Amino acid sequence: MEMRQASRERSPSVGIGYRCAIAAWTRANLHAFDVLEVTVDHYIHGGAAQRDEILDLVGRIPLTAHGVGLSIGTDVPLDLAYLDEVAGIVDRLKAPAYSEHLAFTRVPGRDLANLLPLPRTEAVAESIIEKVRTVQSRISVPFLLENISYVFEWPDSNLSDAEFLNLICRETGACLLLDIENLYLNACNHGFDPYGFADELSLGLVREMHMAGGTTVRDPDLPAPFFADSHSHPLPAQTLDLLDHVLERHAPATIILERDDRLDATDEIIDDVARIRASVGLRRNDQQAAAAAAG
Amino acid sequence: MTSKRLLQRQVSLLRYLTSGGAIFGDGGPLDPDLRGVDGTLLRMEARFSHEKRMEKIAAVFPRTFDLLGSEREALIREFVDACPPVDIARLANARQFHDFLSARWRRQPPRRAYLPDVAACELACAQARAVCEDGATPANDVRRTGIRRRPGVVLLRCAFDIRPIFEAGAGDPVERDTPLAIVPAPDRDQPGIFELPPAVFDLLAALDGRVDAADLREVPETDALIADLARAGLIEVRG
Repeated sequence: MEMRQASRERSPSVGIGYRCAIAAWTRANLHAFDVLEVTVDHYIHGGAAQRDEILDLVGRIPLTAHGVGLSIGTDVPLDLAYLDEVAGIVDRLKAPAYSEHLAFTRVPGRDLANLLPLPRTEAVAESIIEKVRTVQSRISVPFLLENISYVFEWPDSNLSDAEFLNLICRETGACLLLDIENLYLNACNHGFDPYGFADELSLGLVREMHMAGGTTVRDPDLPAPFFADSHSHPLPAQTLDLLDHVLERHAPATIILERDDRLDATDEIIDDVARIRASVGLRRNDQQAAAAAAG
Repeated sequence: MTSKRLLQRQVSLLRYLTSGGAIFGDGGPLDPDLRGVDGTLLRMEARFSHEKRMEKIAAVFPRTFDLLGSEREALIREFVDACPPVDIARLANARQFHDFLSARWRRQPPRRAYLPDVAACELACAQARAVCEDGATPANDVRRTGIRRRPGVVLLRCAFDIRPIFEAGAGDPVERDTPLAIVPAPDRDQPGIFELPPAVFDLLAALDGRVDAADLREVPETDALIADLARAGLIEVRG
């Protein structure tokens, strides 16, 4: 029944995160992608030329909007001026959705520029729910929350990752940008079952997905290698397996390959997009066969 | 109350993650707000974040970092303790590092006396690049006529001629008053670095805002000079 529900949806669009460093290459290879994800903060902090290059993509290829600068988890009121600037950009991009990380990066007076986890408690979820509603009241398209990779956990977290996300999304109607790489890394680093996490997410919650390949850090103080979310290498096979599993229960509109380092290796980017497409295609074929068999 | 306590814990966390003790692994016990969090993992998080920040700064100051040599690690340690990160942007972090170096070198001059000029020139190059990438004309300048220094051109008065440091294979800097213009080059990563006659440097310094050509009548051979400066990309002439 669940599989049939997913199979009725169209195949997800597959593309990459737009990066200024490979803007010319991206424009020359638009035919290779169904969609590009624009990071609104690159637009805000970029120069006029970069902004023009991004706006020039509108109408040439579908764009979706992603953010890194909201710091929704900082326990202070949201920066409404920033949010309104994002709203304008989202409209200009004609993006169907805007996504941000369920995390915090700064406090008044300090900006780590790195995504940090929140204590997963009902009290914190309530505070986030209020902020998500504020975002939804100022942005004209659906708001998606993204799961982050985290190095450490707060000791008072008493909800699982999936419970925390389900609670916030259920109360607000927000959907999820599921970062498969982050899920995979967290599962490896913190010893939980990523498939169990995926199964625990409310059915159909995932609207967009991120895929990426990271690196392994060997620290003499740590008992085991640590997997880092560097967006620098080809997709590990395990993440494609996980993608396939998630697609059994969710019908995301978009799957984005993220790459922030070794951007010169464009052949790897093309290859990874093809690997994602192949996974999506296989899953779709399976679903169609199952639907046909079920009558 | 719960909300206040979360912010307090978040502040304590960032204070710890940006501290030299966490980054360099020689810190004391964790703040009580962080009790129960794995200290080894926090120190790794601190190192990751620090490395990302220093990558941004090193990208602006490659020559300065190289010339600092064995002093570099100690200076970075001092920088971390004195200047927590306050902004995500590369240029903001670079300015913060330059301000730190300048203050430090005022108290204790560097081993290589020309290093302040090299650092200032690298920061000026980054500023010129940023203006070049931005490419926007200030809104209040759109309709105005006259002459002004081209946006992105940075003037720098150096105590040493440090241009050899920026030219591959050239020799050591010579100590002499050297007025420089750093000129953005849209088609190249590295802006141009040109020595100016002192009188031209002073003239360009006075051209922050637009002035009428008639106001420059006292400058000898005004027309030829304006044409030369415009050709060199140092000024904009309108109207």
